[in-house]
Amino acid sequence: MQAGEYIHDHFTKIVVRSQVAIAFTLLLLLPAANFFYPTDYGLKAGIHGVSAILAIVIGTYLTHRAIPLIKGMHVRLESLRRWVLFATVLNLAGAISGNWIYMRYRGQDGPRDWILAHVPNFHNVLMEFKEFVSLFPFPLMLAATFTLYYYGMPIQYRRDITRFVGITILVSWSFLLLGFAAGLVLAKLRFV
Amino acid sequence: MQNPADNQQVLHSGPVVAASLSLLLAFLTLMVSHHISRLTRELDNMVHAYGHWIPGSTGSGPDGSIGSYSGKETLALMVWLGSWLIFHQLWRKQDLSLQVWTRFFVISLVVITLGFFHPLSDPIVLFVAGLFGIH
Repeated sequence: MQAGEYIHDHFTKIVVRSQVAIAFTLLLLLPAANFFYPTDYGLKAGIHGVSAILAIVIGTYLTHRAIPLIKGMHVRLESLRRWVLFATVLNLAGAISGNWIYMRYRGQDGPRDWILAHVPNFHNVLMEFKEFVSLFPFPLMLAATFTLYYYGMPIQYRRDITRFVGITILVSWSFLLLGFAAGLVLAKLRFV
Repeated sequence: MQNPADNQQVLHSGPVVAASLSLLLAFLTLMVSHHISRLTRELDNMVHAYGHWIPGSTGSGPDGSIGSYSGKETLALMVWLGSWLIFHQLWRKQDLSLQVWTRFFVISLVVITLGFFHPLSDPIVLFVAGLFGIH
């Protein structure tokens, strides 16, 4: 059997891209539905949900681009750093919109009041954890962006630096996922 | 064509350490200010005061506010950007070992993350607060 590099043919590319497009659209519908929920805070909830899902999607894509960085392989740096910059902006949007919806969460008869009255640990442990780890991805991603732009192309000669950037991207994604899962649990438990 | 070995000498790892150490300190500030604010009402007000510039940091009613969370964020921002600037100036021409730093960085992040998990951190916080006579 021949063991060469596997190259996607035209048909495979169409299948893969369609799958990505369908999954992405359906996933985006999940938070976009927030805009139409019967609440006065649908706009805030929708914006936070959409920016969080987008950050998750781009962050997950970037974990795949981070592996070659960690291994010290040659990467397309120009494209990579634009994606990392984009992820940084999305994570900032997630954090700012998170602050915005957090106000209502803590408001009178808001989710916090309800959760404290019924299942206090979801606030006292889960939310108190989530509100802080959700702030982590933005600075981490910004540090990765800074490094990629600061050193520019010669960074490829320093495997220890590219490795560190790759690890930073993976770590940022881990915190993103932690905050995202916790946020989903809380929104499902008691919506704003 | 440039020799790769020449390039290697031009790059210094100091700025990477500066960027990542400063965010570690920011996360640490978030953790410390959070635990301090939970001890007494006065301490909470003190932390909150730093965040009054953020829209929605005060107020009540259905629309709510983020309360002292705004102060924790402000303190963390100040520590992050301030220390980044200082460390960057100090280390931009220095080459520091990323091998050692990567390990320290990841382990510190794990420890700080656990510090936000109240069942684990609260007994430690209360013990330390007790040493300062705060109950």
